Amino acid sequence: MPKRRDIVAIVLIVLPWTLLITVWHQSAITPLLATQKDDRRDGRSNSRNTFALKESCSLQNRDIVEVVRTEYVYSRPPPWSDVLPTIHVITPTYSRPVQKAELTRLTNTLLHVPNLHWLLVEDSQRRTTLVGRLLHETGLNYTHLNVETPRNYKVRGDTRDPRIPRGTIQRNLALRWLRETFGVNSSQSGIVYFADDDNTYSLELFEEMRSTKKVSVWPVAFVGGLRYESPKVNTLGKVYGWKTVFDPHRPFAIDMAGFAVNLRLILAKPQAYFKLRGVKGGYQESSLLRELVTLSDLEPKAANCTKVLVWHTRTEKPVLINEGKKGFTDSNVEI
Amino acid sequence: MATRMKLKLKTVFVLYFMVSLMGLVYALMQLGQRCDCAEHDMPKDRTISRLRGELHRFQEQIRKSEATKQPQKQPAKPTIFVITPTYARLVQKAELTRLSHTFLHVPQLHWIVVEDSPHKTPLVSDLLLKSGLTYTHLHMPTAKDRKLQEGDPSWLKPRGVEQRNEGLRWLREDRRAQPGGDNQQGVVYFADDDNTYSLQIFEEMRSTQRVSVWPVGLVGGMKYERPVIEGGKVVRFHTGWRPSRPFPMDMAGFALSLKLVLANPESCFDGDAPMGFLESSFLQGLVTMDELEPKADNCSKVLVWHTRTEKPKMKREEALQAQGLGSDRAVEV
Repeated sequence: MPKRRDIVAIVLIVLPWTLLITVWHQSAITPLLATQKDDRRDGRSNSRNTFALKESCSLQNRDIVEVVRTEYVYSRPPPWSDVLPTIHVITPTYSRPVQKAELTRLTNTLLHVPNLHWLLVEDSQRRTTLVGRLLHETGLNYTHLNVETPRNYKVRGDTRDPRIPRGTIQRNLALRWLRETFGVNSSQSGIVYFADDDNTYSLELFEEMRSTKKVSVWPVAFVGGLRYESPKVNTLGKVYGWKTVFDPHRPFAIDMAGFAVNLRLILAKPQAYFKLRGVKGGYQESSLLRELVTLSDLEPKAANCTKVLVWHTRTEKPVLINEGKKGFTDSNVEI
Repeated sequence: MATRMKLKLKTVFVLYFMVSLMGLVYALMQLGQRCDCAEHDMPKDRTISRLRGELHRFQEQIRKSEATKQPQKQPAKPTIFVITPTYARLVQKAELTRLSHTFLHVPQLHWIVVEDSPHKTPLVSDLLLKSGLTYTHLHMPTAKDRKLQEGDPSWLKPRGVEQRNEGLRWLREDRRAQPGGDNQQGVVYFADDDNTYSLQIFEEMRSTQRVSVWPVGLVGGMKYERPVIEGGKVVRFHTGWRPSRPFPMDMAGFALSLKLVLANPESCFDGDAPMGFLESSFLQGLVTMDELEPKADNCSKVLVWHTRTEKPKMKREEALQAQGLGSDRAVEV
């Protein structure tokens, strides 16, 4: 048996393949290294592999945002960028004693987010002066809408009747406004996010959602009777289920604050709205999302759904017992 | 037969070798040219360089506008020292996050956060570090007998006393270590981590000479509590609960000048004071009602609200934890 020949044969087989593989690996990096040469002027040198490079890219993005933020200590939104996609934040609101306080602290957060467009929809017959004045004074880029929930739909007292989801009509109005303003099948870049006025949002959340291609999802704290609810993400980075206790078999077992939709998707599917009637408790989000996307299309954010960037806080109803029947305080003073 | 097979095998090998070689050459040629295949990374790099370009433009603009402002050099604004006591509970991170967003808008603000804890917690340390604010991180645990227990109503024992006093102590010590007239300029404000503050209140309090006061919304069982002003002076307080207190107002309704705090190094909050008298216990030795400065348009506007956040319902979480299936503790909430 010619052993030497066998060895030679094996070497001849293996060698080209190993060379090929190393060459392909190199070629994947080289184009990026080529562009990095331009950036080297700015004093950033990267000679790492693709994965580290991707991380440093997103870090650069975050660094850029952070620098802009800390330089800006005035109560005006950051300058409008031509590059960042606009985030359209839809907030339904209604009149109650804590309304002004809630909207005030929400605006203090939103004023830090670049390229933000706030759609505030009041549950009222007319646009109130309280909200109108507040919006005007913030300097935010906003749209002030209103639509009154018909009496038979309104939540009675304090009890949360699951058959009547709050804010639905207002959110639908905002979606309709977006479709009318931008037109169907427009190529306008933007992200749509539903933000309730009593939740708490970190600034990182808005930057996470900016890269949404279809629908992105992330964990939300204090919902479903848990510390947080989150989507289940597999090793391939795809959502395959929901880590919740309350009805995890819902098509989209996620809170309103836990997802964002690309504007193009909203415009491309003009019949997709939140369902008004016959929606079981907790199925409101599913009623919209199932018309837009399937489970496999969801993009997990917040480090593959391992970080909590939004909290479903609820504000206590203030005790106004000392007001009495006639009202102790001057009703002309706005609170 | 054997030679024929060998021949065939040889040709197979040769063919195979030629094919691999050609593939290698092709790959090497690809290397020399600009590759279109990595297109998923190209837009990202393009976006990054465009963003960087924008950033440089904005920074130039800021630098230019600041250069034109230089000739009119204004005296430095007095710093507002905000003392916030905080304690670990589910909503702590959320509360501190949205509070930091408000403070980021206020120039010349120094946040003094005092934790009710025997040591500094990583949650608060990280939050403060990432916030971008000027801050001081302190801690002071409340004595066990002074602490509220599970199920105690919130009004049973005064909260935040030791922490606010610790904040005052640090401030006095810090200022003593840096002598100089400018360092005595400042305003001290006690801000609880669950209240809501408008940006205007901080500008109102900046001009405090001794102690300034203003209305507070959603407190004292009413829509708002406020000092009553006549002739530019506080004559009494409009409140629904025990108006006979020396200073019947909420912690969020007044601010002191730093000078006053430093001139009275012994004054602090009295934890033994009866319910609702905490503010009075502090202010009594410092100022009379006559000397109070009304702000917020002669105390007619509500610029701060005493909001309280609900305790999140954890029934399902507790049930899961009993089964050992609670949510991942490593994830910070």
